[in-house]
Amino acid sequence: MADALSGRLDQVVDTVLARGDATAALSDAELAPLVRVAAELRHYPSPEFRARLKATLKERTMMTTTLSAAPPTTTRAREGFTTITPYVMASDSGFTEFVKQVFGAVETETTRTPRGVHRELRIGNSMLMVGESDQDTGVPVRPSAYHIFVDDPDGTYRRALAAGATSLGEPADRPYGERSGFVQDAMGNYWYISRSLRGPAIPEGLRTLTVYLHPASVADYIDFLTRAFGAVEDARHHDPNGRVMHAQVRLGNAVLEMGEPDPPRSMPTTFYLYVDDADALYHRAVAAGATSLAPPADMSYGDRVGSVQDSTGTIWYIARPAG
Amino acid sequence: MAVTIDEDDERALIEAAQADPARFEGLYDRYVQRVYGFVSRRVGNRATAEDITSAVFEQALTSLPKFEWRGVPFAAWLIRIAANAITDHWRRTARESGDAAPEMPDAGEMDATEQRAILFQLVERLPALQRRVIEQRFGEEKSIREIAAALQRTEGAVKQLQLRALENLRKGMRHG
Repeated sequence: MADALSGRLDQVVDTVLARGDATAALSDAELAPLVRVAAELRHYPSPEFRARLKATLKERTMMTTTLSAAPPTTTRAREGFTTITPYVMASDSGFTEFVKQVFGAVETETTRTPRGVHRELRIGNSMLMVGESDQDTGVPVRPSAYHIFVDDPDGTYRRALAAGATSLGEPADRPYGERSGFVQDAMGNYWYISRSLRGPAIPEGLRTLTVYLHPASVADYIDFLTRAFGAVEDARHHDPNGRVMHAQVRLGNAVLEMGEPDPPRSMPTTFYLYVDDADALYHRAVAAGATSLAPPADMSYGDRVGSVQDSTGTIWYIARPAG
Repeated sequence: MAVTIDEDDERALIEAAQADPARFEGLYDRYVQRVYGFVSRRVGNRATAEDITSAVFEQALTSLPKFEWRGVPFAAWLIRIAANAITDHWRRTARESGDAAPEMPDAGEMDATEQRAILFQLVERLPALQRRVIEQRFGEEKSIREIAAALQRTEGAVKQLQLRALENLRKGMRHG
């Protein structure tokens, strides 16, 4: 009898596993309770899959713990700088002149190098580095996008047009709580010129200037930033189609903003990252999938710097400041 | 042989993993079957269920520092991540399949998910041979003939082991 039952049961199990209709077996009083169990067991995960995923996760956690799960610290950051400084590559002084003229940037440092000029500019409470060279420095000159807060977005927008920028959108009150006008400068950079409609001109947690990234997948990019640099996600907003319109992450004491462009437009950029342990963060970034451009080394200007490029093309100089 | 989902040390496991990601393994072991069972039930395709389950745990590992203990079971948090991942999967494939996206899990489905998790835990506690038959038959979808060859038993013996295992599981669920 038991043989007959085990045979009948196995035929039903075959049907269950083939996603077939096993409801007829439910009228068999002896089989019915076993068939219900079998139907649930169809969703039993394969031991091989469980072991494989466990190994993958373990590899990832070991990677992050070995290289410290904590976000980078910048106790040694230079006066006025935060963890992240946008590093603008330019072929001439056009960019510097534009930000001085339109945003009132002040040049705080000028260093002549064999290949060109290194400038440091302060805009409001943010810092920018500019590398000007008419030679091939190995770092491409390419446009980026910037979210900049000003007291008078309308006036700043007009100054930008007068300085040679073209309009991408006239100043208007936006549903996300800012009055913003959009321009593209002669070098191709996008400027989202804004003032918060609530409270002070700069929303809490942000500074005058924030680089705005446009990765094809914000989710993937935040995942990378988390693994590589210990970034912490502060906000993510989707449109009804699931596209990430805006997201914000913190990295050390700096903030990055990003949104998935429609239509897609990749705008990789370059960052100078001040951290206490450049070697550890460089290795962590490479372990997280970034491509090494140069391992950490002591530079003539005192910083210890390593560089990597992420999958979006953005270049990260990871530096321990001199001193 | 009754099993209950013990919630007592859940908080300790979560806090340990938040402090040290290497401890995430404990959470994974505890919840992987539940998440997979939930996903599999909704997508009905083993390869897709495995892909989505992987994505859920990757996401959970990334988001764990943000998980706040407010008495909401960790399992419910994982299932929400899983439901979102399934919705994303549906969005990507909707154009081909024309299917509507599934709803978020309701209380009935959460209960079914819990019951399934208990059943899967019972599998772990079966006598070794019965457990291997269930793992291979259902987890790897092998035929009786393949399992008989792997275990060096007759096909009749494997069918008997399958019957005994299902009977034991049914008893465990009834008393669970």
